[in-house]
Amino acid sequence: MTSALRNTLTVWYALILREALDRLFDMRGAWFWLLAEPAMHILFMSFIRVVIRMRTVANADALMWIVVGMLAFFLFRRTAVQVTHAVDSNRAFFAFRQVQPFDPALARAVLEAFLMAIVAIIILVATSFFDRQIIPDDPLLVLAAVLGLWLFGLGYGLVASVLQNLIPEMKHVLKILMMPLYLISGVIIPLSSIPQPYLSWLMYNPIAHALELVRLGYFEHYHTVPGVSMGYVYAWSVASICLGLLLYRRFAIQLTMR
Amino acid sequence: MIEINNVYKRYKTKLGPGPWVLRGITLTIPSKVNVGLIGVNGAGKSTLLRLIGGIDHPNMGSIKRHCRLSWPMGHGGVEPDLTGRQNAKFVCRVHGFGHDLRDRLAFIQDFSELGKAFDDPVRTYSSGMRSRLQFALSLAFDFDIYISDEVTAAGDARFRNKAAQAFKDMIHRAGLIMVAHNESTLKQFCQAGILLHNGQAHWFDAIDDALTAYKDTYS
Repeated sequence: MTSALRNTLTVWYALILREALDRLFDMRGAWFWLLAEPAMHILFMSFIRVVIRMRTVANADALMWIVVGMLAFFLFRRTAVQVTHAVDSNRAFFAFRQVQPFDPALARAVLEAFLMAIVAIIILVATSFFDRQIIPDDPLLVLAAVLGLWLFGLGYGLVASVLQNLIPEMKHVLKILMMPLYLISGVIIPLSSIPQPYLSWLMYNPIAHALELVRLGYFEHYHTVPGVSMGYVYAWSVASICLGLLLYRRFAIQLTMR
Repeated sequence: MIEINNVYKRYKTKLGPGPWVLRGITLTIPSKVNVGLIGVNGAGKSTLLRLIGGIDHPNMGSIKRHCRLSWPMGHGGVEPDLTGRQNAKFVCRVHGFGHDLRDRLAFIQDFSELGKAFDDPVRTYSSGMRSRLQFALSLAFDFDIYISDEVTAAGDARFRNKAAQAFKDMIHRAGLIMVAHNESTLKQFCQAGILLHNGQAHWFDAIDDALTAYKDTYS
């Protein structure tokens, strides 16, 4: 192993441990809210959908439909938001030459994937007490879609963090952008219930594709909306990460300076 | 050895690019020499130190570091929300000393004289405690050249004496590039001097000559 690679790996290791400390013990019970936030959303939405309205969504069990979609969406949103603020929260550490702006971004994305895996397992096991089958029918498809979603979260975060450092007004725009994503990505409103031509507009959103694919992997007989494509998800992931890396390379100095 | 080759630096202001702070600096700083950077306020001393330390980059020119070089001592490197111990762990790991954390943490806690406060968040520290921690952190590792920006001004009189002693021991085995405004500090620690004037750097083999030339620039 070359010394440059070893240096980078030790920096990532140190940053992941430092970020884990921040995420889990930053305030009293921080680790509890990490689990409670998606759990509350799921409880509330599934109460409305399962108890009051219907039992199935597009041939899938409604409770599992919400659990799976919500967990996948939270993986994207948390990764994106955490990566967006990675540089700001680690400004002090850029005094060390070996810490570059990209390092905390990657450390946060990896940590978020790890934490969301634990959160997902706990919530899925809890769901199994309601007589639901929690093992996916096609685990590989679920993993592929979730990986694509995570990569897109990383790419989105990289681009967003550069934008909001260069243009302070972007902070507000990005916040406004995040809010409707929850509604238009098919987390709680089934996309199959939306008529054309509006559906094809919503399908420009790669998160909608990824959520449908995760559900297809979970339920063998799920009816996805037409035009769902794994390639489309990964095209967005790769493009956003490449753009993000380019921006980091070009604006590295502006990112670390105040 | 550090090779600085034709380095230019200016900062961005709200009205576009600012004036050149450094204009074509070419220097070779040998490893075993203790150098003082002198110049009036705004002459670019801290800028040059940051460029040498690699936490900022020149607009033109290049800087080659052929040795293990410390981060700028007494500047940053400490995250206020983490405790002193957590910060120290991070710095040890980032420098590749994750395997003997215990010894280094013991040294840092002992030298900084923080006692129980070592486990409190840094934001609760007084400025003296904070600079003691920063000073202890940079002493915990062996570098070929240390760079320091007014670092010996840390803490109260007793700690300053201890710091000065540790500093002297350290610069016997390593090189030092320091910024200080106090003439006696410079004479105490440095043999050679670099005078920054009008964006140019002038090398003096003896710090006394550099201080004499420095007085001529503003009198």
